[in-house]
Amino acid sequence: MIKQTENMNITGITDENERRLAAECLDFAIREGADKARITLDKSLLNKFATLNGTLDRVSQCLDRTLTFCLFVNGRYGVSSTNRLDENELKDFISKAISEIKMLAPDPCRDLPSKERTEKNARTGKELGLFDEVFGTMTAGKRVKAALEASGYAHRKEEEKNRKDIPSILISEEGEYSDSVSDTYIIDSDGLECRHMETSFEYGVEITLQGPQGDKSGGFWWTASPWLKDFDASGCFEEALGRASAKLNPQFINGGKMNMVVGTEVASKMVTPILNALNGFSIQQENSFLKDSLDKKIFSERMNIEDMGRTAGTAGAKLFDSEGVATVNAPIIKNGMVKKYAVNTYIANKTGLKPTIESFTRIKVLPFAENGSRELTQKDIISLCSEGILVTGFNGGNYNPATGDFSYGIEGFGFKGGKITCPVSGMVITGNFITLWNNLIACGSDSRICSSDRIPTLAFSDVDFSS
Amino acid sequence: MIYDKNYYLDIFKITENNLKTIAAEGLSKGGDYSDLFFENTFYTQLMLKDGNVTSGGFNVDYGVGIRVLKGEKTGYAYSEKTDIKSMTEAARTAASIAGNSGNPSSPINVDKLLRDARDTATFVKAGNNGDRMIRKFFPGEPNPAADRYPFAEDWKKTETSVLIPFLDKLQNRLASCDDRIIKIIAMLSGQTSDYLMYNSFREMKYDTKPMGSISVSVIFSKNGKTESKSFSRSFRMGTEMLTDTLIDELASKAVEGIDDMFAAKRPKGGKMPVVMSAGASGILLHEAMGHAFEADFIRKGQSIFNGRMGQKICDGKINIVDDGTIKGNRGSLNFDDEGVPGQKTYMVSNGILTSYLHDRISAKFFGVSPTGNGRRESFRYNPVPRMRATYMENGDADKTDIISSVKKGIYVCDFSNGQVKIGEGDFTFYVKRSYLIENGKLTRPLKDINIIGNGPQALADIIAVGNDLKIDDSTWTCGKEQNVPVSCGIPTVLVKSLTVGGE
Repeated sequence: MIKQTENMNITGITDENERRLAAECLDFAIREGADKARITLDKSLLNKFATLNGTLDRVSQCLDRTLTFCLFVNGRYGVSSTNRLDENELKDFISKAISEIKMLAPDPCRDLPSKERTEKNARTGKELGLFDEVFGTMTAGKRVKAALEASGYAHRKEEEKNRKDIPSILISEEGEYSDSVSDTYIIDSDGLECRHMETSFEYGVEITLQGPQGDKSGGFWWTASPWLKDFDASGCFEEALGRASAKLNPQFINGGKMNMVVGTEVASKMVTPILNALNGFSIQQENSFLKDSLDKKIFSERMNIEDMGRTAGTAGAKLFDSEGVATVNAPIIKNGMVKKYAVNTYIANKTGLKPTIESFTRIKVLPFAENGSRELTQKDIISLCSEGILVTGFNGGNYNPATGDFSYGIEGFGFKGGKITCPVSGMVITGNFITLWNNLIACGSDSRICSSDRIPTLAFSDVDFSS
Repeated sequence: MIYDKNYYLDIFKITENNLKTIAAEGLSKGGDYSDLFFENTFYTQLMLKDGNVTSGGFNVDYGVGIRVLKGEKTGYAYSEKTDIKSMTEAARTAASIAGNSGNPSSPINVDKLLRDARDTATFVKAGNNGDRMIRKFFPGEPNPAADRYPFAEDWKKTETSVLIPFLDKLQNRLASCDDRIIKIIAMLSGQTSDYLMYNSFREMKYDTKPMGSISVSVIFSKNGKTESKSFSRSFRMGTEMLTDTLIDELASKAVEGIDDMFAAKRPKGGKMPVVMSAGASGILLHEAMGHAFEADFIRKGQSIFNGRMGQKICDGKINIVDDGTIKGNRGSLNFDDEGVPGQKTYMVSNGILTSYLHDRISAKFFGVSPTGNGRRESFRYNPVPRMRATYMENGDADKTDIISSVKKGIYVCDFSNGQVKIGEGDFTFYVKRSYLIENGKLTRPLKDINIIGNGPQALADIIAVGNDLKIDDSTWTCGKEQNVPVSCGIPTVLVKSLTVGGE
């Protein structure tokens, strides 16, 4: 039986001594000449139990602690970090950091966030209910069991032996059960004190299949939950297997302007460039296709994206950003109108924009369909679009952050009459993100509950496919 | 840099006896091999933005990773402290992969455990090499005379005030080279990492790896249109790499092809011949072929090149290597992260697949010697087979002749964002800058296209190899599970048919 260091005291959680050390470092930095300072103590424990073809293949345990120092010295600014938390070494470290910062050019825009904007209610780290005390009762035996129980390798191999109608052979199954606890503690010289704790239980599996012609295809699926009681890895193997199997023998079909449905597992690829373009840093650097877009209607009225960082009990939620600024549940894009940039203290001072948040915390794309339906599965959306390409994977490609032009390789399935017809590969989509989102047909209600961002199946019309 | 052994023992506050004891502790539950990987990394970074160097800092990362193998199974744990208690605890956690729970409080016989480990290592299991007995040890201390990255100025000891003038000079040079430039961001980073490795064969290896990188992003604006360029240079060198020559090279990269980028248009897509320019096109080799040669994928039966060892896979003039021996190169290694000497490995010789890229696990599995490709991001990760500097050796064709031979096709200059599916071998690469070839001449600039193909097919379809091999010294980082620095290169080559995704 595997025997690991047991976690009854949950070593991934910061203890009083470590938090006191952070406070002493803050005092020392000020005494050494820093005008202001922010210190972040991150600690995490991650256990991974990986399987290969149904047997335990790799076990690892990772315990990390880091102190990060954001120091404001004589109108100058620097960030340094270390995992060596010896008190005397830390004093030398801070002194060196301060003396190095004095050599940088001054930047009057650097500052701590104003006290009014910082989070006041993240005292215990458990306010959002994302910390499962059960983590402390996990043992190596339970972890091994979780990893092995999720495997479907033996069953599938038995089927392959006994049934002649299975056209593909399972080449390999790589699974990994992991659980983790993370603890972030931030203090600053203006009196900020915030803490966030989160547990996570995850399982992912990757399948490689070989088809009758010797061709291979892969499929991946995963699940996760902040709480053990809601963690259920059953079905992951079957889903990954189904995905790999469906992709065998892809066809090359003709390109042209078509409807594109993007599956929830990869739909973030269509959303992330929008969020990046709304980040204050990109705007300040004139490297954003959405500069000067605030309070303007840029996209289809059907497009609604919210930042929902403060929603308790949802994976990815957090009460504060890396500056300690309180998150806010608010629209980012409402009926196609840009309502919010992500602007930290520095960029706000630099540009005159209103400070908001360092970066968006937990994205939610709201469901929409022209027929008014708010309950839309991927099947409904394919039916609604009737004909087009369902994209289930991206393969290479890029976009231009200044113009929003994009070009991505894709894989997925053709569909006609609302039914999947064949797997496709070797296709490329090209276009521009503003145009794409103005051609929005529908947003589903099928985002995965285990994802921190809630991005559902999306559908767009008139997308350029080439092959 | 290779310092005296005691330099490393002092840094990690350990003795050779401690190393033996911890390695033996790793074997105490029945493992057949254990190793310790100590790391002390200092990383410094400065950012030039809006005309000034206004932010910077440094990072210290210190710890030891302990790995235990039982067959091909891995137990891994690490400690950010190198005291005996912390390391023993980590070793016991890693040891648990062997399954025998043992009694943690009973004393272990260090000499016997290490002797047994060495003895059992001589045997390679049946089925992989016909029960042939092999020994694959790497005895001896590191040789400073063979160091592949000696450096003059240590990043760890260089003050920020010495580095800032380089960035200021770069800013002035870039700002003056084209009046369409509206924004410049440059990131200068330097790293010095001390490593000490010890394993249950009682082999000890150590070295100090430097790494300096400069990455630049420039935004141009003309008549309301915006274009951006990103470029970088990276070497296993100390701060002596920060020369005027480097500034000249970066300035030249900034404006190279920018007029064409403003004029470029997306072409019509389709299947056509593609000429890959020398240098950075080597990323295609890395992604579309190199990963599929990594022996962990082969061991698990996942690679498109499974079962093709010894077969002719491309033209007989083609040689593809993965090389850890180029002095000062970003991918070079005195030793890999398992203590195996860095080396030059021919994956394809005269068109024939001759070697996969091995770490100790896959080498033992296949009954061959490890190729020095066991690499890891840091002490936090167990090593897996990874590339170093991957390139194709020179052929005999002239670049001009290659282009002239194409009636209608694409000449590709800058790649980015390549991706490959290991099992299927399918790849897609985004091409930032390219030209249309018509009747043997470059006729107009193109942009924002993708090249799509299949790795083995594309390799088999190479019909001309230039004599202008160039290793690209950009800041290439491979992200297979973990990030490791690599480099790549290629001479000009002609692939007779690839899918070009355009409008």
